[in-house]
Amino acid sequence: MIEIVETGPFNTVQDLGRPGYRDIGVSAGGAMDPLAVRIGNILVGNPQDAAAIEIQMFPFKLRFEVPTVFAVTGADGQPLLEGRALLSWCAYRAEAGQILELKQPPKLARAYIVLGGGIDVPVLMGSRSTALRGGFGGNAGRPLMKGDRIEVCALPQPLPLPAGGIAAVAPATALRDAFPVADDGTLLIRAIPAGEHELFADDGEAFWSQVWRISSRSDRTGYRLSGAPIKPVKTVEMRSHGVVPGVVQVPPGGEPIIQMSDANTAGGYPKIAGVIEADLWRLGQARAGSRLRFVRSTHAEARAVEQIVSRYVEDIERTSQMVKRALKAMT
Amino acid sequence: MSTIDFSDPATIAALTEALTAAGVDGLEVSGPVGQLRLVVSKGEGPHIRLTGGIGANQAKAVTVKAPIAGCFCAIHPSVSEETETLPRRVSDKDVVGFIRIGSVLLPVPAGRSGLLARRLAEPGALVGFGDPLFEIEPQP
Repeated sequence: MIEIVETGPFNTVQDLGRPGYRDIGVSAGGAMDPLAVRIGNILVGNPQDAAAIEIQMFPFKLRFEVPTVFAVTGADGQPLLEGRALLSWCAYRAEAGQILELKQPPKLARAYIVLGGGIDVPVLMGSRSTALRGGFGGNAGRPLMKGDRIEVCALPQPLPLPAGGIAAVAPATALRDAFPVADDGTLLIRAIPAGEHELFADDGEAFWSQVWRISSRSDRTGYRLSGAPIKPVKTVEMRSHGVVPGVVQVPPGGEPIIQMSDANTAGGYPKIAGVIEADLWRLGQARAGSRLRFVRSTHAEARAVEQIVSRYVEDIERTSQMVKRALKAMT
Repeated sequence: MSTIDFSDPATIAALTEALTAAGVDGLEVSGPVGQLRLVVSKGEGPHIRLTGGIGANQAKAVTVKAPIAGCFCAIHPSVSEETETLPRRVSDKDVVGFIRIGSVLLPVPAGRSGLLARRLAEPGALVGFGDPLFEIEPQP
C-alpha cells in the first residue's frame, strides 16, 4: 500500500496499454515512455507490463506504508528517499513510512515509479491504464490526488535485491548509437511517409527539413507542433479513418499534430507521416518547448531499431536476474 | 587475478554458507602468509580455523571490493562531464562506483564512512569478484 502525499494534476496509473479495442472507440493508452516502464518492472522483478505511476507534473511525493521494492525510471534527475538522493533507473528497497519525492527533472518530461508487484487497480479490457478521456481504468478513471491510498500486488517469490540496489544503463546512454540527437540537441525523430504525403509539395520538403517546436498545447493525446505552416497542394475532403499513436496529421492550419499514447481512434486530417514505434518513447520524454526534426526512415530501419531495443530489454532481464542470483548465493 | 581477503569474517561467513548450500564438506586455502580451512561438519555447524593472516591488509585503510565480476566504472555511465574527485569524504551508503555487466549496473556502496583516498582499479577494466576497487581511510 502507498499513499499519495503530494501530486500535480494529470499523474496517472499506466501500464503498456489496452490495444485491440480501437474498433469500439477505446484508445490503447498506456505509458508515454513504455520502455521506462518495462525496464523499471524488470529491475524490481515484475513482469514487464505491470502497472506503474506516470508522473508528468512535479513535484510528487508518496509514502510507503509497508516495505516495498521500487525504481524510478524514465526522466533524468535524482529521486529522493527520505531526502537522500538516489539513482534513477535503479531498484531500491524502501522501509515502511519512508517518503519518496520526485522533483522537476532537469531535461525530460516523464518519470515512472515502478513498485515490486505492480500497482493493483482493477484490470479493464486487459489493462490497468487510466483512460482520462473515457474516465475509466487506473485509479477510479481519474488522475491521482493527494490522500489516495493505492494497493500494490504481492510479488511471488522475488529474488532478493542487492544491498546497494541494481540499476540499468538508461536507453538514451546504452542505445546512444541507435537514437541519434543533432549536435544542437534537436531530437531527430524517424518517420515513414504516410497516406497523404503526396498532397504536400516537393515531396513534403517543408515538413522534413524544418525544425519543429513542441507547443504547450500538447498532452498524452497528441503533440501540436509549431513552425512554418505546411499546406497541401489541393484541399481534400476525407472521411474519418483509423488513427494510431505516431501518426502525424496536418490540420488546415498547417501545423502538424503527432498522435500520442491516448491517440484518438479515428480522424480525418491528411496524414503526412508516421513516427516509427521505436522512437515514440523519445517523444514521450520530450517536453513542450523542445525542438525536433523528422528524419525520413524506412520499414527496414524501423525494424532494425526495434530489434536493438528488444535485445537491450532482453539483456537487462537476463543479466539482472543472473546478478541477483549470484549475489544471493554469495551472501 | 583477484585477491580475496580470507581473514575477513564476512568472506569466511559467505564461503561457509556457499559451501553448506552446495553440499561441499570443506575447503582449504593456502597462501604465502597463512592457511584457511573450513570444514562443514554434519549436524554440528561449520568448523573454521585460520592460521596466520591470508591477505590481511596491513594498513589501517580498508578496501572496497568488487561484489561481482564485470566492467568497473568509477562514475555513472550516463554522466559525461563529471570528473572523479579524490580524495573525498564518503558515508557508508554513498555509491563510489559501479560494476557494469552489459546494460546492468551494480552500484558499489562505500560500506563505511571515511575518506575515499585511492582508486585501485582502472575505469573500464574487467574486474573479478573481490578485486580491490577503492581504499577508504577511516576518519575520526
